[in-house]
Amino acid sequence: MSELRRMGRPECDELLDELEGLRGEAAQQEEVLAELTAATSRHVATCEDCRRAIEDFVATRAAVEPMKAPLAVAGPWFVTRVMAAVRNAEKEMEERKEGVWVSVRGLAPRLAAFAVLLLVLGGTWAMELRRREASIAQPRQAEGLFETGTGAPMNDDIVATATEGNRP
Amino acid sequence: MPEPALEEQSKAGESRPEADRELVQRAQEGEKQAFEELVRRHQGRVFAVAGGILRTREDVEDIAQQVFLKAYLSIKRFDQRAAFTTWLYKITVNECWDLLRKRKVRPLMYEADLNEEQAHAYQAKEDGGESALDVRERLEAREMVEQWLDCLDEKDRTMLVMKEVQGFTVEEIAGIMELNGNTVKVRLFRARQRVAERMRRKQRAAGK
Repeated sequence: MSELRRMGRPECDELLDELEGLRGEAAQQEEVLAELTAATSRHVATCEDCRRAIEDFVATRAAVEPMKAPLAVAGPWFVTRVMAAVRNAEKEMEERKEGVWVSVRGLAPRLAAFAVLLLVLGGTWAMELRRREASIAQPRQAEGLFETGTGAPMNDDIVATATEGNRP
Repeated sequence: MPEPALEEQSKAGESRPEADRELVQRAQEGEKQAFEELVRRHQGRVFAVAGGILRTREDVEDIAQQVFLKAYLSIKRFDQRAAFTTWLYKITVNECWDLLRKRKVRPLMYEADLNEEQAHAYQAKEDGGESALDVRERLEAREMVEQWLDCLDEKDRTMLVMKEVQGFTVEEIAGIMELNGNTVKVRLFRARQRVAERMRRKQRAAGK
């Protein structure tokens, strides 16, 4: 809070409100005083802080006076310039949107090739999977030279038995 | 005193909030002419606000254009709970601060530093028919003010200029800067104290 408010005097707060509420062009101390309410004027006569606040108010008001001459004013071309910028911005946004779609379309052949490759790989894998499942479902048979079937005796055993039977 | 054209534009912008509301609605529906009318109506005040914060004419013109462009691009999101002007000046103040922040330091060259040729070109653009000397004096006076206001941070400086130069009320400033009205009053009071103290010190130094 300001020094005025910290003092906690409602009259000082009132002065602050009145000063900031001044809508006129009062630039001299007397003019400002004339715009204050009677109660606040009476208070100002007895309050050093409030007198200083009015001095500061008047001094800053006079100090910034040269800024009232505008640094720049909108020329007659300004609206046209703004609307051209608006159209450009819209066009850019439109192009950007289209650009995304164009790049997606540019990728289409590659996407198609990739899809075909996926399809081929997927199909092969699926066929292989089916074949394996089918082979698991069939009864197990001897598959290799060194694997033996459980049921039938090996030919060698038969031969050996026969040989043994013919021994003298 | 503000220039008559500026004053007229300001008043036109202030006195027709209902018309603004309708124009905003039409602009939100995509009607460019409505937005164009809003630009025409508020350009003066946007230039004035930006001119109070920035230091060069070119910056003011560029920022003003950027403000309206930004307003156009985001007008559909503006819910009209606040006045259009409050929303527009808020964009203006933020854009100006962004520019100053990007530059980090305040530009050292003021327009008072224009060479003779530039001063003539500047004069040619002026509508009032001032002489080059008038323009130069005016810009030098402004530079002096800038030096006094240099002791304030950007927010306090903007508040003081909006209040004293552009005639905004405390409530309007509070709305634009998203601050409490009381805070604005206290900050204004402190800003005045600081500027006045600086002026007194300079006067004392000059008197020695």
